[in-house]
Amino acid sequence: MTDAKFPQVRIAAERLLNPETLERLLNLIMKTEGIRRVLLNGPRLPATIPYGPSHGLDNPHEMRKNIKVGDQEVELQVHVGTILLEIENRDVIPALKDACDQVFTQFTYRIQEGRYMKTEPTTSDYAKYGPDADRMILGLADPKSKSGPVILQGIK
Amino acid sequence: MAYKPQYGPGSSTIADNRRKYMDPASKLEKVRDITDEDLVLVLGHRAPGSAYKTAHPPLAEQQEPACPIRKLVTPTDGAKAGDRIRYIQFADSMYNAPCHPYLRSYLEAYKFRGIDPGTLSGRQILECRERDLEKYSKELVNTVLFDPARTAIRGCTVHGHSLRLAEDGMMFDMLQRCVLDKKSGIVKYVKDQVGVPLDKEVKVGKPMDEKWLKAHSGIFHSLVGVPFRSDAEYIEYVQRVHSLRTKYGFMPKE
Repeated sequence: MTDAKFPQVRIAAERLLNPETLERLLNLIMKTEGIRRVLLNGPRLPATIPYGPSHGLDNPHEMRKNIKVGDQEVELQVHVGTILLEIENRDVIPALKDACDQVFTQFTYRIQEGRYMKTEPTTSDYAKYGPDADRMILGLADPKSKSGPVILQGIK
Repeated sequence: MAYKPQYGPGSSTIADNRRKYMDPASKLEKVRDITDEDLVLVLGHRAPGSAYKTAHPPLAEQQEPACPIRKLVTPTDGAKAGDRIRYIQFADSMYNAPCHPYLRSYLEAYKFRGIDPGTLSGRQILECRERDLEKYSKELVNTVLFDPARTAIRGCTVHGHSLRLAEDGMMFDMLQRCVLDKKSGIVKYVKDQVGVPLDKEVKVGKPMDEKWLKAHSGIFHSLVGVPFRSDAEYIEYVQRVHSLRTKYGFMPKE
């Protein structure tokens, strides 16, 4: 869940990102001091086909891979198109722009500042985590999913 | 003077393309050659070479009621044989795909017989007798109306029309029915249109380049293609239709 005192930015590239591109970008971003939370958004890529005539079959997809961010393995479940970040202060934004400039050389991108993360726990959050949920993790993972958020070691 | 259909308004290349695609007299340019067997595999309705399943006996074998309309209308090959109804569905990307759902339905209605097109915002389904379907599908896939990267044959899970493209230029597909071979640059279907893996890959050729797509596109796009607002004639026509529809809503007395 978001806290109004921390700024948030959204990085949106012109194309949906390959896992390799995303890995490079996230590793550059993680070297920046002052990142609180990161959310990867995009259309979902399920491991098995959830419905339709091919229901239950394996769904191999080039864009669903494990990437390594710092020392941590991150399993991608979406084809990432937008990266939402909560940062400690606005001084971090130039470093994020630098990282994007290094990675997005073939296509354009933009960084916007605004409020992009959840501000209140939903009914699903309440049902899953109860009244005393850790407010840091609310909004970082789908409450209906069995997997939680990945905790990365920052440099602070 | 004899009436000459215009097929659509506009002075842009998009409007030109739309008219060209819809006009039954203009032949669509052939750009690839997918074999009948490959197409049957992607459609996934029957095994290649197998007999067509039927919904009723052939018309020649059944007693037809005396009906003047039946005398007027010649049945299509599929109807004559009593084939069952099957479908093909296309998803077209907003990013300069050669065709788009509304245009598909229009042009199919002009060019083909015995069809039932269904139009949605990002996909379009064509239903007809099976052997007619295979004939029509071939025309839809082998001509300029199809691009291996921006157009896809998707019976279900069609999401992708309005999404950004992948880095390699392919439209998003949750089931990844077709993959771009990085070495050869050719797009291959590895699943049929509903996502069942194929025994054999079906090659549909190389994606067209941006210049070709922009020249052959049937969809306006303000960022990557021809903006709708650049076509004053089209806007005038749409505004006229909108205005007349709105006024008619108030039932004006003339």
